[in-house]
Amino acid sequence: MIGAKREGRTGLIATGLCWIILCGVGVLVDDWLLAQVAIYLCYGIFAMGLSLIWGQAGILSFGQAIFFGAGAYGFAVATLDMLPGTGTGILTGLVFAVGLATVLAWALAWLTFAGRGLSGAHFAIVTLCAAAVVEIAVTRSGFLGGYNGLFGVAPFTWGGEMIAERPMYYIMLGVAFAVFLGVTAIVRSPYGTVLEAIRDDENRVAHLGYETRRLKTVAFVIAGALSGLSGALFAAQFGFVSPSLLGFALSTQVLIWVAVGGRAVPLAAMVGALVVSGAENTLSNTLGDLWLLVIGVIFVVVVIAAKNGLFGTLFRLPPPKRLRKT
Amino acid sequence: MHVTGVEAPAPLLKVDGLAKRFGGVVALSDVSFELEEASIHTILGPNGCGKTTLFNVIDGSLRPTAGRVEFAGQRIDGMTAARIARLGIARKFQVPGVFGELSVAQNLETALACHGGRYGVGALLRVRPDAVRRDELADLCGLSAKLQVRVSELAHGEKQRLEIAMLLAGDVRLLMLDEPTAGMSVTETEAVAALVRQLRDERGLTVLIVEHDLHFVRSLAEPVLVANEGRIIARGDYETLRHDPRVIRSYLGEGADA
Repeated sequence: MIGAKREGRTGLIATGLCWIILCGVGVLVDDWLLAQVAIYLCYGIFAMGLSLIWGQAGILSFGQAIFFGAGAYGFAVATLDMLPGTGTGILTGLVFAVGLATVLAWALAWLTFAGRGLSGAHFAIVTLCAAAVVEIAVTRSGFLGGYNGLFGVAPFTWGGEMIAERPMYYIMLGVAFAVFLGVTAIVRSPYGTVLEAIRDDENRVAHLGYETRRLKTVAFVIAGALSGLSGALFAAQFGFVSPSLLGFALSTQVLIWVAVGGRAVPLAAMVGALVVSGAENTLSNTLGDLWLLVIGVIFVVVVIAAKNGLFGTLFRLPPPKRLRKT
Repeated sequence: MHVTGVEAPAPLLKVDGLAKRFGGVVALSDVSFELEEASIHTILGPNGCGKTTLFNVIDGSLRPTAGRVEFAGQRIDGMTAARIARLGIARKFQVPGVFGELSVAQNLETALACHGGRYGVGALLRVRPDAVRRDELADLCGLSAKLQVRVSELAHGEKQRLEIAMLLAGDVRLLMLDEPTAGMSVTETEAVAALVRQLRDERGLTVLIVEHDLHFVRSLAEPVLVANEGRIIARGDYETLRHDPRVIRSYLGEGADA
């Protein structure tokens, strides 16, 4: 068991180093690249949400972009003054974005977990279809700008001035860190243990006395809210939203980030999002379409050979104190 | 109902006219029986006679087509499996119902955390399960030294003991065992029979067992319910029943000498 203890300590050190490096990036990197990394941090938050439901509870959702897109569109619609009587404040936009994603996630969970509930491949297929339907619906919606999307989404401002790249990066890093702490606390609580047990055998968990539908719904709604938050932060930085933000393609991408990073460890999922989307940006310029082949091969190799992803073992924290022998 | 003199204790479990059909297939046609508190009963019957379906209906995995189930005076058919479990009915599955990907400590935590009304998300996020009770259960199943070990790495017997410890974590009153001795040697079978009697004597548990190992039924020496074709056809002790012509016809077969 000494080995396990040391492994946990390595995880703790690696986790600390990772956040210190991310802080250092804000000083060392030029503004243009920093703005890119800030966008990747949005993906990282998105990925941590998925790691909570997929990595922890085993709920494989192919529709997470619905909530990311809902957050992005929600923020755009609110800040572009398209909602009557709400004003165009950034805070209003964020609240509306997260609220919309939360409600949609709850509705999808309510429908799909009803009765005996959908699970495994059935749930994955239903969420996949839902993402496709939402993407098509938004593409056809004139109010939401149809195929072209909505332009001129308000960036974050401070005292009337647009926030510069560097402070914006640190804001994003702060949000990502807060989400990391929150998701990690959930995963390490008894609720996290029960979610893990649901991943293993849901029926058995129900027979111990847990209303598994309710427990899964709460996790799914938290993941949806985090997706909405990341979508809103993305829209504020990117300046425009389009139907591709809530479709099938982004839903698949986030699954790849999380699988490659390591689905059961929130920080591994986030770093997976940073590394894969960063690599995509640099390599797709040099490799062109070959990049899709490369990421495809990486994905298949990681899924077959490394169950914990590339970083899952590296960032695995020691078990919480209460689960160690006293 | 008027009762004079000594009051007969109300049954802990009362199954009345229970039927379950799957399309045209009748799994249970009309099952009625009662279990007194702190009793041990074995349901004996050939494969396909509806024993496992009966368990599935009692524990809320399936809804009955007709009939009712009462537990401690409360009607439970139609409740969710989770609610029935919280009332104090624990079921041991044929395959050890433990969580292979989790450590022993996490398995015990999962079994412990839902008791005392703390099964909601809010409580699970705030409340720390009782570590003392956890260690007691670990001692009970002899796995104190293996708390951090992944359960899939345990031996089969260790998993069985862990599962029993998990079932005893809460305020269980009725324990349902589905073929607890499947694949066991004669010695192990007798150890299970002794454990079941010990649980009844020391904790006052009511135990309902589905089994078709006659050796186990005989060494348990407790009342038997014989099931066939979706009904309970006889009730009594094993030694009497083995001479009952209905039982011989339906289960033991002509000229059986078990």
